[in-house]
Amino acid sequence: MGLLESLFPAENFSLIAFILGMPLLGALVNGVWGRRLGKPAVRLMALSAVGASFLAAVVAFVALQHRVEVEGHEHVKLYWTAWQWMHANGGRSVTNVPIDVRFSIDALSGVMMLVVTGVGFLIHLYSTAYMAEDKAFWRFFAYLNLFIFSMLVLILGDNLPVLFIGWEGVGLCSYLLIGFWYDVGANTAAGKKAFIANRVGDFGLLCAMFLLVHYAGALDWTGIQSGANVLADNPAEAYRIHVWPIGGGTYQGIFAFLQPAHPVTISAATAVGLALLLGCTGKSAQIPLYVWLPDAMAGPTPVSALIHAATMVTAGVYLICRLSFVFVLSPFVMATVAVIGVSTALFAATIALVQNDIKKVLAYSTVSQLGFMFLGVGVGAFTSGFFHVFTHAFFKACLFLGAGSVIHAMHARIHDDVQAQDIRNMGGLKKYMPITYWTFLAATCAIAGLPLLSGFFSKDAILFEAFVNHSVNPFAQKLADRHSGAWAPPAMLGPSLYVAGVVAATMTAFYMFRLFFLTFHGDFRGWVIGRAPLAASRAGHGDLEDTADGEEAHDEGKGTHEHEHGADEHGGDHGHHEENLKDPGRAPHESPWQMTVPLIVLAAFSVFAGVLNPAPLTKKLALEHWLAPVFESAIKGTVIAREGAEHLELPLMLGGIGAFVVGSGIAYWMYIAQKGAPAARLAEQAPGLHRLLLDKWRIDELYEATVLSAVDALAETAAAFDQSFVDGILAKLTALVVAAFGTILRTLQNGVVHFYAAVMVVGLAAMGWFFVTPHPDATVTPEGNGDYTLVAGPGIGYGYRWDGDGDGKPDKDVFDGTQQIKLHLEPGKSIVIRLEVMNAFGLTNVRAIPVSRPSAPTMLEVGQN
Amino acid sequence: MNIGIIYFWLLAAMSVVGALATVSARNPIRGAMGLLLMILCVAGLFLALHAEFLAIIQLIVYAGAIVVLFLFVIMLLGPSATAPRDHRGQVSRAVAGTLFAACAAGAAYAVARGGHMLALRRPDPGFGGIDAIGRTLFSDGLVPFEVSSALLMVAVVGAVAVARGKQGEHTAGTGAHPLSRAELAESKPFHDAQPGGLGEGQ
Amino acid sequence: MIPVQHYLYLSALLFTIGGVGFLVRRNVLVALMSIEVMLNAVNISLVAFNRMRPENHGGQMFAFFLIAAEAAEVAVGLAIVLSLFRIKRTVRSDEADLLKN
Repeated sequence: MGLLESLFPAENFSLIAFILGMPLLGALVNGVWGRRLGKPAVRLMALSAVGASFLAAVVAFVALQHRVEVEGHEHVKLYWTAWQWMHANGGRSVTNVPIDVRFSIDALSGVMMLVVTGVGFLIHLYSTAYMAEDKAFWRFFAYLNLFIFSMLVLILGDNLPVLFIGWEGVGLCSYLLIGFWYDVGANTAAGKKAFIANRVGDFGLLCAMFLLVHYAGALDWTGIQSGANVLADNPAEAYRIHVWPIGGGTYQGIFAFLQPAHPVTISAATAVGLALLLGCTGKSAQIPLYVWLPDAMAGPTPVSALIHAATMVTAGVYLICRLSFVFVLSPFVMATVAVIGVSTALFAATIALVQNDIKKVLAYSTVSQLGFMFLGVGVGAFTSGFFHVFTHAFFKACLFLGAGSVIHAMHARIHDDVQAQDIRNMGGLKKYMPITYWTFLAATCAIAGLPLLSGFFSKDAILFEAFVNHSVNPFAQKLADRHSGAWAPPAMLGPSLYVAGVVAATMTAFYMFRLFFLTFHGDFRGWVIGRAPLAASRAGHGDLEDTADGEEAHDEGKGTHEHEHGADEHGGDHGHHEENLKDPGRAPHESPWQMTVPLIVLAAFSVFAGVLNPAPLTKKLALEHWLAPVFESAIKGTVIAREGAEHLELPLMLGGIGAFVVGSGIAYWMYIAQKGAPAARLAEQAPGLHRLLLDKWRIDELYEATVLSAVDALAETAAAFDQSFVDGILAKLTALVVAAFGTILRTLQNGVVHFYAAVMVVGLAAMGWFFVTPHPDATVTPEGNGDYTLVAGPGIGYGYRWDGDGDGKPDKDVFDGTQQIKLHLEPGKSIVIRLEVMNAFGLTNVRAIPVSRPSAPTMLEVGQN
Repeated sequence: MNIGIIYFWLLAAMSVVGALATVSARNPIRGAMGLLLMILCVAGLFLALHAEFLAIIQLIVYAGAIVVLFLFVIMLLGPSATAPRDHRGQVSRAVAGTLFAACAAGAAYAVARGGHMLALRRPDPGFGGIDAIGRTLFSDGLVPFEVSSALLMVAVVGAVAVARGKQGEHTAGTGAHPLSRAELAESKPFHDAQPGGLGEGQ
Repeated sequence: MIPVQHYLYLSALLFTIGGVGFLVRRNVLVALMSIEVMLNAVNISLVAFNRMRPENHGGQMFAFFLIAAEAAEVAVGLAIVLSLFRIKRTVRSDEADLLKN
């Protein structure tokens, strides 16, 4: 430990560079040379990069823990600065805000870092078998490593700009990986959709950064925290943001009817919070920007597991936790976050009830669970919300990887992606894939909230705090006398959030078990299991799988086998024909060890991770204690639990248990006991509703009709304007004018030398004319005290004649060589001097030169006096 | 009325006549003769202005070399040297000529007005003689002297290069070495090879 | 004796004749000869000024070099006339408009 401390002091914890650098190195090597290196080398590079990063993260975590023990309850951070980047101009009090590329590990980011690298490593291992047949193997791992790097930058960034870099980086990798099989148009469209929806959110994040620089004068976490008071509902008017009328002031004239009775203002904290919330809804797939996540299932399943379940989508929640001290300053924002969270949870759960694609169900489940996390942080339960992030990473990754295992098995015979993932084609896989079965069951119980599993504790904590917490404004007393007052959430908000959360939890349990039962129980509906007819199999497959007892030869457990269809789920270059599914085929097989070992590990975590924060059972909550320095001081005084909250703990827990029991019970009754008949009956009786839910409430179509059409129309208008006006008039017209001039001027170039000489003579004559005419000119120099000197400009053979007293008659009769005269003026007087010039040709010219003196004494004169 | 005045006016008149003949003669031979007359008169005027060396140089170089060169070229061109009368470009000619004359008239007028500034002085003996000129030339004017000799060499090379034309073409221009009969027969000048002299239809 | 102005007037007159001749006549040989006339006029003027101020021989030297330069110019100019004739079979400068437009 002492060695660690001496190698990596807390202020210059360069192990962070290693943690970040290894995945980046892996991405670089695999990206640049991956094609030539071959699959084993690529695999080794990718796995070792993430593995080394994970080990370094563990070491860093240990170092952090040691420091925490040493320093007690303070908020400990380990810093590392890569380089000094730039300076921004702050707003009110601070003019120079330094922005450095700086990373830090504290309690919150330490845990997140472990999750990202650990789960990332497991998913890398899984992908080595899942993507083994893909010809772009190297590209996949390059992108995956790059993703790990970006996610780490996001988590470990010590200020908002660095976080934003990671934010964009994960968005980019998400786009790259969703559209990994880019020869299918739908995949690239899904990737674009993800990226664009994220961008809409990023606009909010950028606005929040600008507001923070302006108001709080800092962009790093400690700086914002110390400057955060400014953002709150400060009695000082200057820190409020005028919403209507925009920017303050009043509407006048023809706009007078827009003037409201009371000007609407919000505090800076509200503005920052709402802007950040926009960013988080984009990244974490909440209403209104969740639409990209279901489409993102077009990517390979490990991608869905890593990015769209465990890590990237939780970045929004992470950001809210990071900036908790800003969010709590505005009860309005907290309420908004909670309401958005719970509505998303409900909304997504309703959609997941009827979906038939295994990955789509999990996708909507992710959206729903993210809604829970938002609900958690929205009511001030930051630790619980983050704990749900933690447990969700495990069980959702386990679920996705299990789904991938199933799809891998289904793909052996069903090559069409949509059909291979349809749970109506599955069933009874329990006996063919036992490891997948048990791990999937463990994860399903965790997500549904089986008591004592991890998901139960995290969800229950959220629901409890939703009921009992409410946000208060830290400056409520000071604002009591202001007519606008401070916004306080209504009293029934907490209980209604709780009820909605329980309903959502019930639906979660129901659809997860529905998925589980339809996939693993019952009879297998994919194809007929039996001995494959030799002709068809030899024609269709290769020579590897023709044995009659191929089922036995296929290990349902460990051991790799080269399956010719492998796991390539793209619709492209098989060369295989779609077989007739009526013919018997081999049974679905269990996945190789690279796929099942991560499943087992993740399932174990899903089951046992609850021990870290078993909220109602004990008072020794490890995670809460660990994260206390991060959140406690931040939320002090702003998140208040109602009286008697401790007594409500156990009763409210019954809500969570009840949700699990009711949901799983109905699912069991519907799909095991009644074998799916009630579901079919319900679908018949309410076809409209069923259709609506299946079409995901037609939100995509709504967006298409409103927002996207508007943007398209704007784009087309701009294009038309560009083509007609800019191109037509500005570009073509100017070209025409220039060409016309050119045609005119070209007549001067007739190639005959004598003509050119004639033109030169014209020029000569003009120059001669210039020299022949006299040019009188004089410069006036004030000497001070009212004295002015006029000096005439020289010329060839010039003679001068002045009229120095302004009477209109020249002073002398002859032209001589007096080049300058002096005169004196009283203040405020002006005079017109006339200068006549005669040159050697005897031509004269006259010029009038006005000279005036200003009435007030000038600085020059005052100084001179 | 002394001999100097008569001398001046005579030579001035003859030089003007020569210049007019140069610019107005249709036959360039006549023009060259007019040029020669003018040059001789100018040489005489140089003598009147105490510039003996320059007068001799004028005679040798101008009359002896340049006019001869002109005559050679006119001879080479033959009858084509006399271009047919043409009335193209009247406007530009007229305008240019008028303007030019106006400018020159203006300059002369300026001289007339500034007359009080121009007074002759008695020159030193030996002014304008070979001895004095030589000394000045090789002391103050050494650099221009050397440069002008380089200029003359460049001119010679340039004239040869320009007048030579394409290789193997039947040239009778200055500086080309005579072609052998075989080469003459081989070369293809204008597809109507005629020994000596350019131009067809002479 | 003869005042210097007379020489200057003569020089101006010859210069005008030469210049107008150059601008009006389109026969390149005549044009070249007109240039000779102009240069001679300049020489007269220079020598006349030198006579006016005979401290040094500046004017005569200038005229000397003018003669030399002018000889070079004539040589090259006549070579060009020959080339023009070879290409276009004419001595009219009107027809040497290959660089038209």
